[in-house]
Amino acid sequence: MGFLAKLAFKNLFRHKLRTFVSIVAIAFSVMIVVFARGYIVGLIDNLTVEHIQYDSGHIKLITHEYRDQERLLPLNYPVDGLGGRGLEEMVAALKDIEGVEMVIPRLKFGAMVSTGDELVTISGWGVDPEQETAFTDIERYLVEGRMPQPGRLEVMMGTALLEKINRRVGEKVTIVFNTAFNSLQGVTFTIVGRTESGIKLLNEVVFYLPLDQAQRLLEMDGEVTEVLLVTPDKKLVPQVLPRVQALLAEHGEDGRYLALGYKDTSDLIFFMEIAKLIYNQIYVFLVLLACIVVVNTMLMIVKERTREIGMMSALGLESKDIMRLFLTEGAIMGVTGSLLGAVSGSLINGYFARTGFDFTAATSGFSSEIVFNAVIYPLSSPGNTIFAFFLGVVIVTIACVIPARRAARLEPTEAMRA
Amino acid sequence: MALLEMRGLTKIYDQGKIEVPALRGIDLTVEQGEFTTIFGPSGSGKTTLLNLIGCLDRPTAGTIIFDGQELAGLEKKALAMIRRRHVGFVFQSYNLIPVLTAYENVEFAVRLVNEYEKKEIRDRVLRILEAVGLAGLEKRKPNELSGGQKQRVAIARALVKEPKLILADEPSANLDSKTSEEVLQVMLKMNQELGTTFIFSTHDPRVMEYARRLIEIRDGQVAKDQRRG
Repeated sequence: MGFLAKLAFKNLFRHKLRTFVSIVAIAFSVMIVVFARGYIVGLIDNLTVEHIQYDSGHIKLITHEYRDQERLLPLNYPVDGLGGRGLEEMVAALKDIEGVEMVIPRLKFGAMVSTGDELVTISGWGVDPEQETAFTDIERYLVEGRMPQPGRLEVMMGTALLEKINRRVGEKVTIVFNTAFNSLQGVTFTIVGRTESGIKLLNEVVFYLPLDQAQRLLEMDGEVTEVLLVTPDKKLVPQVLPRVQALLAEHGEDGRYLALGYKDTSDLIFFMEIAKLIYNQIYVFLVLLACIVVVNTMLMIVKERTREIGMMSALGLESKDIMRLFLTEGAIMGVTGSLLGAVSGSLINGYFARTGFDFTAATSGFSSEIVFNAVIYPLSSPGNTIFAFFLGVVIVTIACVIPARRAARLEPTEAMRA
Repeated sequence: MALLEMRGLTKIYDQGKIEVPALRGIDLTVEQGEFTTIFGPSGSGKTTLLNLIGCLDRPTAGTIIFDGQELAGLEKKALAMIRRRHVGFVFQSYNLIPVLTAYENVEFAVRLVNEYEKKEIRDRVLRILEAVGLAGLEKRKPNELSGGQKQRVAIARALVKEPKLILADEPSANLDSKTSEEVLQVMLKMNQELGTTFIFSTHDPRVMEYARRLIEIRDGQVAKDQRRG
C-alpha cells in the first residue's frame, strides 16, 4: 500500500519541530556510535598493528627460556636454526610454509650510552633494513636521514632519545653493551637517521643497527633472538600457526622453540577485543536512549490522532495497516536520522583519521614496554558507517512497535469517541 | 429488498462491576435506497446502533444481517472488509486527514478498496468531487476549506467507492443552517441518483425534514418508526 507510505511521509510534516527534534536525537546518537566505534576500532587496530610490527609479527618464534626472560633481552637463548643446520636454512624452511609471506629475524639486546652526566639505558635492534622497511611503518616515521645499511657501523634513533643523549644525525655515538659471551664492548657508530613516532619505545629507547653488524659485535654469527613470521592477513594466523608448530616438531625442535600467535604475546589485545564486544552492546543502549525521544513523540502522536485512527479504521483500514502506518513514520525518522548521523559521524571520523588524537602528554607515564602509539587515529571505514546506520534504523523501527501497537489496538468506536 | 435486518439486537457495555445496557432488543428492517433518520435523546442508543450497523462493533445478543450476510459471528478482519467495500461514514467533525488535500482525502477511501486502476481512481474522485460541488478545490487542504466544504469532502469520501450504505453521525451539527441545507441537498441528490441507502443519527430537525423515514430510539428500544410519502 504505497499510499500509506506516502501518508506516513506527509504526517511527519504535521509538527515539523517535533519531527526535527526526534531526527536530531537519532542523528546525534548514531553520530556518536560512528565516532566511538571508529575510535575504539581504530585504537584496537593501531594497537594490534604496532604490536605485530614492533613486537610479535603475526607469529613469533623464540626459545622457551627466552620467553621466560624476554624483558631482560638475554643473548644466551638464541634462535639458531633447526637441528643444528643454521639460521639461513631455518628461514628458508619457514618461508616454504604455506601462508608465510615474510620471515624477519631480529636481534634485540640491551645497551647503554653516556651523556657525559649519566648513563642512558637503551635497546638495540639488529634488523635487515630492507625487510624491516617492507614489514613495518618505520620508513614513515623517518624524519631525517636514512635507515642504517648492512656492513656499516650505523644507527638510527628516535628524536626523544637523540635529545636525551644530546646528539644529532651525522654525529657519532659510542654505545656500550655486553656480548653473548658476557664481555663488555664499546663501539662508536654514526647516527644516520632520526625517527619520530607516537610510539614511546621507538622514540625513547630503541636504536636500529644492521643485523650483520649486531651479530658480529655481539659474537652471535648465524643467531638472532627472535624470528617473526608474516602472513598475508592476521586472520590466517590460526591456520598457519599449526603448520609452523608441525615444522618444529618434525625437526625435534618443539621442545626448544616456541611459536606464538600475535594474540598470545599481548594481554592488552585480548582485553581490547573483549572491550570491543562490550562497546558493541553500549552502542545499542546509546541508540535506545535516542529511541526514548522517538517513542515519546510517537506516543504523543498516537494520542493526538486517536480520532483519526478511529476514522481510518471505520473506512476499513485493518489493525495491521494502522500498525504499518505508524511503523513507517518511525522508520522514516529512523532512516533520516541514522543517515544524517552516519554521514556526519563518518565526516568527523574522516577528519580525525587524518589528524589523529595526540595523547603523548597523557601517556608519558606509560611504560615503554607497551608498544602503543600515543597518537590515536580513529578508523574511518564504510563498514563502520553502514553498521551504525543499520543499528539506528533497526533499533528505532523496533522501538516504534510500542506506539504502533497501541495505535493498532484501538477499538474504532472508542477511538472516535476520544 | 432489505439491505439490513436486525432482530433482537442487544448491546450491553461491561463497565467493570456495572453492566450498562445500550440497546434492548431492537427489531428493524432497512430497505435498499432508504433515506432514514434515527433520532432520540442523548444516551438513547443512537450511536451504538449506528456502530453495530456500520460493523464497527459487535452486538451482545441478536442478529444483524447486512446485504444477506450475518454479521454477528464475523472476525474483525471480515468486518473491516465490509466497511472498506460497502459502508461509508460521514462524521460530525468531518475527520479529514489534515495533511492530505481534498482530492487525496477522497482518494484514500477508494484506494483502500484496491479494485480500481489508477486512471479509474482519478476519474471517480474528480467525478464525485464535482458532484458534491467541490470542482476546482481538489488541491486544497482541510484547513483551507470552510466547514460546509469539509463536510462535502467527507460525503465525497463516503460515496466515492459507491457503497451500499452511508452512515452519517450528526452530519449537520457543526454547520450553519444554510450550509447544513446545502450538504443535505447533496446527500439527497446522491441518494436519488445512485440509490445509496443513507442512515442519519441526529438531533437536528432540519435533517428530520429531509428524511423519508424517522426512527425514534428511547432507552435502547425503537419508540417510533414512521415512514413518509
